[in-house]
Amino acid sequence: MSNRIDPLGEAGLQFYSKVSASISHEIKNSLAVINESAGYLEDVTLMAKKGMNVDMDRLQSLAETMLKQVQRTNAIIKNMNRLAHSLDDPESQIDLNALLELMINLSERTTVTRGFKVFAALSDTAVTITTHPFFLENLIWLILDFAMNVTGDAKNIELKPAKAEPGATISFTGLEKLTQSEFNIFLTQRVHLMLAALNCTLQADENKGMITLNLPENITQPAS
Amino acid sequence: MTDKVLIVDDEQDFLNIISDRLTARDMNVSTASSAKDAIKQIDEDSFDAVVLDLMMPEMDGLETLKIMKEKNPDLQVILLTGHATVEKGIEAMKLGAMDLIEKPADLSTIVERIKRAKAEKIILVEKKSEKRIREILTRKGW
Repeated sequence: MSNRIDPLGEAGLQFYSKVSASISHEIKNSLAVINESAGYLEDVTLMAKKGMNVDMDRLQSLAETMLKQVQRTNAIIKNMNRLAHSLDDPESQIDLNALLELMINLSERTTVTRGFKVFAALSDTAVTITTHPFFLENLIWLILDFAMNVTGDAKNIELKPAKAEPGATISFTGLEKLTQSEFNIFLTQRVHLMLAALNCTLQADENKGMITLNLPENITQPAS
Repeated sequence: MTDKVLIVDDEQDFLNIISDRLTARDMNVSTASSAKDAIKQIDEDSFDAVVLDLMMPEMDGLETLKIMKEKNPDLQVILLTGHATVEKGIEAMKLGAMDLIEKPADLSTIVERIKRAKAEKIILVEKKSEKRIREILTRKGW
């Protein structure tokens, strides 16, 4: 039975499900704040009807809180929408700066809950490649999940995109406990299939505590 | 006697507003934005109920619940969650949670559960007092 399951499809669904669960949790948190704010306004209205004084500063701060939560929810939904659209085309030109920013936002709840801080050292100029955006996002998610097991005590992971001739790289640094043997365990059939689908390579450097993803300029050409 | 409650959530805005609303309902409210702070507060103070967020950074609600129950088995803990799964709910109940409420929750539901938690706590305290009195009576042979 399990032989009939497409490993790439399964990995993609798992990734999408985890992001969806995390996002729905974030939205519920935001809704809880808006719900309490509305309830507070109801309380204040009742008090005002009874002739009690209304604290206008508190009302203003409440309005600001509600606006902040609406903006937060809007940003979450925009990110989810971008992820959903990354399956539209099997090949599209993307800027790795934007893609990494999206991945950091999408994984934030998961990484923060596990006590990690992931940040990007983005490039001043666009780092464009033609690739399958969804597979690349899925692969970055898997690398991040692995990276959280091998970071140093600071629990910081830095993602950095860079141009390479030809193509581009994404480096994951801060992985002070990275060993080649653990990296080999990470390279499952699923990861190998993903690397093949993206026509890219992945390498680990124990001494630098770094993983580098080498991406081709175009998915139809192999990475250098 | 006012109900003494500790609300634990990493959403500071949520803590501020719910704290104001419960205080307006004559409750004595303390807040903690991390599990670590919450555990410190239950070490130092006594609460009728603890309303605890299930998913928090560094230490999640279930782990926090386990530590709290180890420290004080009679503590009445109500879990609040943004995404309750059946498995998590069962695990929470096994660990001794009094109830599990899904976010966003109606304040009247939270208030009702806090009142119920306080009533449970009173019953537990009374049972313990009764047991102690019986032990004294048996020992003294009165």
